[in-house]
Amino acid sequence: MSTVMKTTRDVKGVGLSIPRPDGPEKVTGKVQYVADIQPKGLLHAKLLRSPHAHARIKRIDTSRAKALAGVRAVLTAADMPYLKKKAPTRAHAVLAIDRVVFAGQPVAAVAADEVAIAEEALDLIDVEYEVLAAAVDPLEAMKPGAPPVAEAGTEADTSEAQAHGSVSGVAAVAKPAKAVNISQQAKLARGDVAKGLADSDVVIEKTYRIPMVHQGYLEPHAVLAQWDTTGQLTLWASTQGSFNTRSEVADVLEIPENRIKVIPVECGGGFGGKIRALCEPVTAELARVTGRPVRYVMTRREELIAGMPAPQVIIKLKTGVKRDGTLMALDGEIVIESGAFSGAVLAVGAVFLASLYRWPAFEVRGFEVLTHKPSIAAYRAPVAPHTIYAIDSHMDQIADAIGQDPVAFRLRHVQREGEAMANNQPWASNAAYEVLERLAQHPSWKTRDEWKKSAPAGKLRGTGLSLGGWLGGLQPTGATVRLNPDGSLSVLTGQVDIAGTNIALAQIAATAYGIDIDKVKITTGDTDVAPMTGLSAGSKTVYTVGAAVLQAAQDARQQTLEIAAKELEAAVHDLEIEDGKVVVRGMPDKGVTLASIGKKGNLYMSKVPPVLGVANPAFTQQAPAFAGQLARIEVDPDTGEVALHEFVVVQDVGKAINPLACEGQMQGGAVQSLGIALTEGLMYDDKGRLMNPSLLDYRKLTAADLPNIECIIVEKPSPAGPFGARGVGEPPIVPAPAAIANAIEDAAGVRLTQLPMTPEKIALSIARK
Amino acid sequence: MAKQVLSFTLNGERVEALVQPYVTLLDALREDLGLTGPKEGCGTGDCGACSVHLDGKLVASCLVLAMQARGRSVTTIEGLARGGTLTPLQDSFVRRGVAQCGFCIPGVLMAAAALLAENDKPSEEDIRYAIAGNLCRCTGYTKMIEAISEAAGSVGRSGGVGVKG
Amino acid sequence: MRRFELVTPVSLDECLRALKGRGPEVKVLAGGTDLIAQLKVGMLKVAIVVDLSGVADLRVLDGDAQRGFRIGAGVTARTLERDRALRASLPALSESGALVGSIQIRNLATLGGNVCNAAPSADMAPPLIALDAEAVVAGPAGRRRVPMASFFKGVRETVLAPDELLVEFVVPATGPKSGGAYLRHTPRRELDIAVVGVASQISLTDGICRKARIALAAVAPTPVRATAAEQALEGQPLTPQTITRAADLAVDAARPISDQRGSAEYRRLLVRVLTRRTLTIALERANA
Repeated sequence: MSTVMKTTRDVKGVGLSIPRPDGPEKVTGKVQYVADIQPKGLLHAKLLRSPHAHARIKRIDTSRAKALAGVRAVLTAADMPYLKKKAPTRAHAVLAIDRVVFAGQPVAAVAADEVAIAEEALDLIDVEYEVLAAAVDPLEAMKPGAPPVAEAGTEADTSEAQAHGSVSGVAAVAKPAKAVNISQQAKLARGDVAKGLADSDVVIEKTYRIPMVHQGYLEPHAVLAQWDTTGQLTLWASTQGSFNTRSEVADVLEIPENRIKVIPVECGGGFGGKIRALCEPVTAELARVTGRPVRYVMTRREELIAGMPAPQVIIKLKTGVKRDGTLMALDGEIVIESGAFSGAVLAVGAVFLASLYRWPAFEVRGFEVLTHKPSIAAYRAPVAPHTIYAIDSHMDQIADAIGQDPVAFRLRHVQREGEAMANNQPWASNAAYEVLERLAQHPSWKTRDEWKKSAPAGKLRGTGLSLGGWLGGLQPTGATVRLNPDGSLSVLTGQVDIAGTNIALAQIAATAYGIDIDKVKITTGDTDVAPMTGLSAGSKTVYTVGAAVLQAAQDARQQTLEIAAKELEAAVHDLEIEDGKVVVRGMPDKGVTLASIGKKGNLYMSKVPPVLGVANPAFTQQAPAFAGQLARIEVDPDTGEVALHEFVVVQDVGKAINPLACEGQMQGGAVQSLGIALTEGLMYDDKGRLMNPSLLDYRKLTAADLPNIECIIVEKPSPAGPFGARGVGEPPIVPAPAAIANAIEDAAGVRLTQLPMTPEKIALSIARK
Repeated sequence: MAKQVLSFTLNGERVEALVQPYVTLLDALREDLGLTGPKEGCGTGDCGACSVHLDGKLVASCLVLAMQARGRSVTTIEGLARGGTLTPLQDSFVRRGVAQCGFCIPGVLMAAAALLAENDKPSEEDIRYAIAGNLCRCTGYTKMIEAISEAAGSVGRSGGVGVKG
Repeated sequence: MRRFELVTPVSLDECLRALKGRGPEVKVLAGGTDLIAQLKVGMLKVAIVVDLSGVADLRVLDGDAQRGFRIGAGVTARTLERDRALRASLPALSESGALVGSIQIRNLATLGGNVCNAAPSADMAPPLIALDAEAVVAGPAGRRRVPMASFFKGVRETVLAPDELLVEFVVPATGPKSGGAYLRHTPRRELDIAVVGVASQISLTDGICRKARIALAAVAPTPVRATAAEQALEGQPLTPQTITRAADLAVDAARPISDQRGSAEYRRLLVRVLTRRTLTIALERANA
């Protein structure tokens, strides 16, 4: 059965719901992930991890482990003299030198013939710790005198902010004296907040708290490392960015980048948790020392304890409005807990809090705080779900307090293109208004009163909605497009295909060049062969790599037409590409096939060059994308259980290159958002140790907990995206926590300001009402 | 520790393998028998990525010792489509663009196949509970439900999951 | 998982011989849903595992509403969930099996394993207690019977000695006009573990409750019988008032802790709600 569709004459691929071509491999179990690769002589790696959140290492004795039959190497920091005394990033903290700064930090590494032997070897490593006081709660850790996580003078690591397209215009502020764990600060302000609040009729002040959550990818971190006899390192990695991994590993191991080849193997989910190097350096070291290929696959327990989660965020929000609904002032304080190493995207939250709606006066203060916990990476729209949870819970509460319709109130105040964001940049074109309008037209919103009245005995029913989005990421990239001797196209990028973007890139190339989609092949090259490219993150793959592919395809088309023009003795502007041929417009018989052009570019003694389209763009313009979500729920007030009856996502994708793929992103992101809202959270005890290191107690939603996710695609073309496309991956994870909180308030009359909104929290809130 | 002989039926064929007594069925399938379709997502039975059929029953192979499969019959994702033709279930998943990262898909298909083998008219709720033991982080499950429902329609007509649709 | 040796008996006698004279370094393996998971995270270390999957005697399933039932320790949760006779006659036990984990887990997890693992949240324990079931235990000295109400000693601790094996459960006939139910609260609908579980089993004569049993999971180190609640119902008709009173008394029998799965306050609230609901369902079934 064919899984590739024929295209129309007018639109060669863009806009069609074409299933991704790797479907057959995935449904037969043939796709290979890192843990499936079985080279000869493979050794298995295991890491010994600190049980303490903060401790000094006094002594490590690996002699008994080394003596166990089947153990091929045991390493500690002492075996890696290049390790920096003060690791600037998490990747540099390969093995702890003399201090551990989070429970789960690697202290020793083992390579053995079998996983079971490696595990037994860990038991035989003796480590003597001197346990130190740990900074565990971020609000406590911010205070002067808290146990210090990093030494004074640490530079904030802004690589994460760069990965997500940093927001300019946010002022950095010098930190208060002796608050040693505040690693970044920012402040945005406009107008006179004190006066605005004083002049308000209704002031609402709440503190919202969202715990650390894990990105939840099904495939744990995995890497296979092997050196060849010339000193070249090959890494097969589960990663969202092979070039990023290469750079980090080169920096950590202090070897040149061109001695490392990173092969991006099929990635079983990343969502921001695999944008940084983690296990690659230590695995590479084990491979070097043993001279064998070494594979390290994290267990789920290790992922939960020592992955790179999303930060805990605490937002104190105070708003003032007039009784007629005029917005007066907003005061916000955002604390982002990054764990033991800096990396928060501080600016985004600060901007979003005060930019979505039109506040004449505001002050937002942001703090990144370090604690003795595993450091964060990113999670799909970092800090945006948290920020929208706060501001959009507030908008509903304000509307309720002044007796206004929650949608009308938002529409009145949502900022439009050209208006000033909190950092004084103008809002780029976006569909925030249109998305919210469209959502409010949904029958489930219009009939919400009937839904509420229809509650069966003993149950409560309600409806809630929310608007959120993502500013859109940017990263320079490159792509090449090659015409083959049979008239087909080969497109090369370095972009890891996580979200099914390759099919969208193929559709773009097909449409831009003028060829059928089944004649286009996309290859994701490794770091030796592919053009440089950035992370598959930030909702920027189609936006940036798509643009590069578009430009490269156009370049290839131009070259093709110029070759044909010479042969046909016609002008380039009189030529068209149709059905695999270059023809003179209006004279279908006067033409030359693409295959013949392709062949001539590879013929002995030919004067015709091979067609090779190249593009290497950088970008300046972000394309914000908004999603609105609506939840129709039923609450059991006795137990607090929430049943999701309906869930709707309205999202502006700019231009749906592949509507099927857009829906997949909208549905997947929505369910992650619902997990943040209802069930997920990493729970730490007062000593900084994780209490729920299993998928039994770290609860991700199952199919039985969910309804169908209804998708409504809105298209407001972006000025710079390929065919007007915007980023699709991140907006859908943003609105659900606020939508669910608003639905629960509607159903049960209780306002929850702490995530996750578990049955316990709901039941006890109702009981205490 | 000496390896033991494991004789059993794997994807319809009698096989013998030498396995350590302490390895799980999942690890034996992946490392000793060359079948990497079943995946380890958690190792403790909480995610379903390792799902296989043991004597026709859907189980978490990460919790079964390989030697517990002795004399029994095991089917993995590789054994769903015999002779290279996709089953209607797999075909629905392909045409509807269900798989994203793909890591959960082998387990989900084994769960769906187990459902369709005994229920050819599953309701949406039946399907949701049938795959409730399979966590997916990419798709939000909706397209899976639609694909399984569509395949059930084909199964009803043609009479079996292993038959070409 | 660290390395261990495996023994694969094909009879109960062979099994008992493998256990004889051993200590905690030897563990029996039934469905593996607790043991293998615990070995993997290093919660347990063993030298020898005795695989029970080859001992057919452990999978006996026999009986009916009139005679009562013999249920082998190796009967799976999935069988409890789907066996017609069990669903009709022992719905509380059947429902408890249906709730465990997921289908993938239920096809492996066994009644005996759930009981012997003896987690405070074990779902199948309260129904066995509420049904006045007895455990048949085999050891070097022969067989003995232990009432389920006396089987548990503490968190993950039972009356079994290291050289004993739980063979089967004997569940007496419930008698005419009987009904039971098991409900638990979990944050998710599948793949979860009880925050609180309640089993209720009642029998009526001419509308008056002649026997009531209420057993609670996850509110004490072991499953707990709410005896004061039971006594308040026996000799009374089951009305909304008597049911509510029993639910309040059941709360008093609970000694919950606060942990990451739930606070003590919430657990007490759930005991009240689930006792009320299971008694209501049990009454409907008794009258059906």
